[in-house]
Amino acid sequence: MFIARSEYDRGINTFSPEGRLFQVEYSLEAIKLGSTAIGVTTASGTVLGVEKRITSSLLETSSVEKVVEIDQHIGCAMSGLQADARSMIEHARVTSQSHAFNYNEPIKVESCTQAICDLALRFGESASGEEEESIMSRPFGVALLIAGYDEDGPSLYHAEPSGTFYRYDAKAIGSGSEGAQAELQSSYHKSLTLPEAEDLVLKTLKQVMEEKLDANNVQLASVTKEKGFRVYGDEEMKGCVGRIENE
Amino acid sequence: MAALSSYSMPTEQPAFSFQNQPQSHASGGPTQHSFYPYTDNGGSTLGISGSSFTIIAGDTRMTSGYNILTRYAPKLFRIGGEGPEHAGAKIVLSVVGFAADGQALQERLDMVVKMYRYQHGKDMSVHACAQRLSHILYNKRFFPYYVQAILGGIDEEGVGALYSYDPVGSYEREQCRAAGAAASLIMPFLDNQVNLKNQYEPDAPQGLEKPQLQPQPLDRQTVEELVRDAFTSAVERHIEVGDGLQMMVITKDGIEELYSPLKQD
Amino acid sequence: MPGFDFSNHNRNLALHAQGVPLPKATSTGTTIVGCIYDGGVVIAADTRATSGPIVADKNCEKLHYIAPQIWCAGAGTAADTEFTTALISSNLELHALSTGRKPRVVTVMTMLKQHLFRYQGHIGAYLVVAGCDPTGNHLFTVHAHGSTDKLPYVTMGSGSLAAMSVFETQWKRDMNRDEAVKLCAEAIQAGIFNDLGSGSNVDVCVITPEKTHLLRNYITPNVREKKMRDYKFKRGTTAVLNEKIITKEEISKYVVVEDVPGEQAVGEKMEVDQ
Repeated sequence: MFIARSEYDRGINTFSPEGRLFQVEYSLEAIKLGSTAIGVTTASGTVLGVEKRITSSLLETSSVEKVVEIDQHIGCAMSGLQADARSMIEHARVTSQSHAFNYNEPIKVESCTQAICDLALRFGESASGEEEESIMSRPFGVALLIAGYDEDGPSLYHAEPSGTFYRYDAKAIGSGSEGAQAELQSSYHKSLTLPEAEDLVLKTLKQVMEEKLDANNVQLASVTKEKGFRVYGDEEMKGCVGRIENE
Repeated sequence: MAALSSYSMPTEQPAFSFQNQPQSHASGGPTQHSFYPYTDNGGSTLGISGSSFTIIAGDTRMTSGYNILTRYAPKLFRIGGEGPEHAGAKIVLSVVGFAADGQALQERLDMVVKMYRYQHGKDMSVHACAQRLSHILYNKRFFPYYVQAILGGIDEEGVGALYSYDPVGSYEREQCRAAGAAASLIMPFLDNQVNLKNQYEPDAPQGLEKPQLQPQPLDRQTVEELVRDAFTSAVERHIEVGDGLQMMVITKDGIEELYSPLKQD
Repeated sequence: MPGFDFSNHNRNLALHAQGVPLPKATSTGTTIVGCIYDGGVVIAADTRATSGPIVADKNCEKLHYIAPQIWCAGAGTAADTEFTTALISSNLELHALSTGRKPRVVTVMTMLKQHLFRYQGHIGAYLVVAGCDPTGNHLFTVHAHGSTDKLPYVTMGSGSLAAMSVFETQWKRDMNRDEAVKLCAEAIQAGIFNDLGSGSNVDVCVITPEKTHLLRNYITPNVREKKMRDYKFKRGTTAVLNEKIITKEEISKYVVVEDVPGEQAVGEKMEVDQ
């Protein structure tokens, strides 16, 4: 199956005769190797949850950062090559700050997502002397779940290395995404409360994780109108995990 | 409003004396030539905001020295509307000073506001536009747009909003502001009639305790009359103001434009 | 001691060197014209006086009396035109008295140019001299440096180009009085509307060997429209910090107090809201 591809999967900006960009498709594969991340939207805010893979008992779990802040009202969860995510998030943060600086108002979540996706496409070979030289030799190997709260209410976006993005009510990415998405499909409904959404995220993670879920190997975060983006602390995580274990 | 708005007199004088004869090379020293890219094209603008509207006005005369370049050069621009008529615009920019810079600034802000709608899928608020205009001006801190700008619109609460600027981007939201050649003539009138400065409760007893009159929100009719009186009076005493009065009234329903003639001498 | 007082010259020079600006003189950035016709001569002027870009006087008089049959229109520094014409007028009167003849326009022109040349252009008076004398009807211009011209139609001041454009398109030989007055008024109006230094009304002076007619405000094309609002303040609006009443009896200890009937008070009536 890979033999037919081999002629066209070296040049990252070269279409195959069937009209495919293999390097972009491969980058999507990299995400499927990543840890699972889930986002669920409710009327009062959006919840993000990620699995932290604790590969060693000697690993300091707090150093695994897979949910990060972009602006006061926007946060994101990632799955895939974490190092790649850093430059995307850096770009999103700069874009958000520049918007606030220029317009004295918070950037819309969609505009922020669009900015990230614009960056995702800046890969490829450029001929010497071309005006704008591409900054990356390959596509990103990471997908993001971008959660935010703006004048249109709470929202959740999924951004891919291909530069496309979609808005979701609930979305799972990463290695356990298939199972997790099926679970979200059946359990999600529009009238979820924020605590219910926390439970749904944790329960879904619990189903797809290889390790047993506890307060250390998952991380929750939320975006609400009142508190903006917030990563849950240790005590709060224990509370949430305790809640689903007692059921 | 900060400095940088010191007035320069018309340069063409009817007199000629030996003192302003060009220096000849005979004096020995090198002759320095220089290019001065700015002109003052005169004219005046004025803005007043109310509880549900903002009115921005300007005369339509454009001058250079003692000459009238044209009797109709608008200083008021709709920002962010569609097509040549700027349909649907809800923000007005007025610029007075160097007309070419005013034109360039207007085109730039209009482009920014249009791009904003494409990029963010919503109309820019006056609040956001005000901040952006400040940045556009400050970006040219060391080669400024030689203009005094006033930006008007309706804010997100539906209240009239008015922002005034100095040439390098310092800005402030105000109830009223006059700019340009006759600013020093019009502004004290506005202070007195809009903000009721130097007016005290007539019936209160005299003395240091006498309370100031408190400004009340003005209705549209009153503001239109104040604007007209401000300009007909400025025309009487300032040679660079005249020909026509252009007024734009911004309400939640859009922009209404009014024009009335002024004295042409 | 007659003549100008230069005692502050050195002090002012030092102040100016330190960056103190010169005082702004009221200049009649002006349109003035003159035109000879069959049987007389007409001069005309606008009535705006400016100080920089500000209108200092909306209805000033720029037509100055020299002799009953000789008048002068002035442009340039207001004080210079007024004092120069008054000075020459006085000296001309003395000259007429001592010679026992009617004064001549050339005499005025010569006295003006000699006076102005002596001051090397520092007296900023730009004049149109016109009049009728036993030698005929005459029209001259005198520049601040002392040069003069004798022409059938002349213009001066910042609006001179606008006014001259009217003369150059419409002037013709052998005009009668009405034609000449109309042409001069048109020329002044060209200045009023196209030169920022000129404005307000048209003053005309028609001089014939028999009589002089000063047509003050011959045309008033720039009457101020009525204000839309009433700006009368209610009594008591101005805060008064303290009050002290000095009676007429008390003040008459220091000065002579005399009642003047209201309407006949001296000076022009001030422009106030009615």
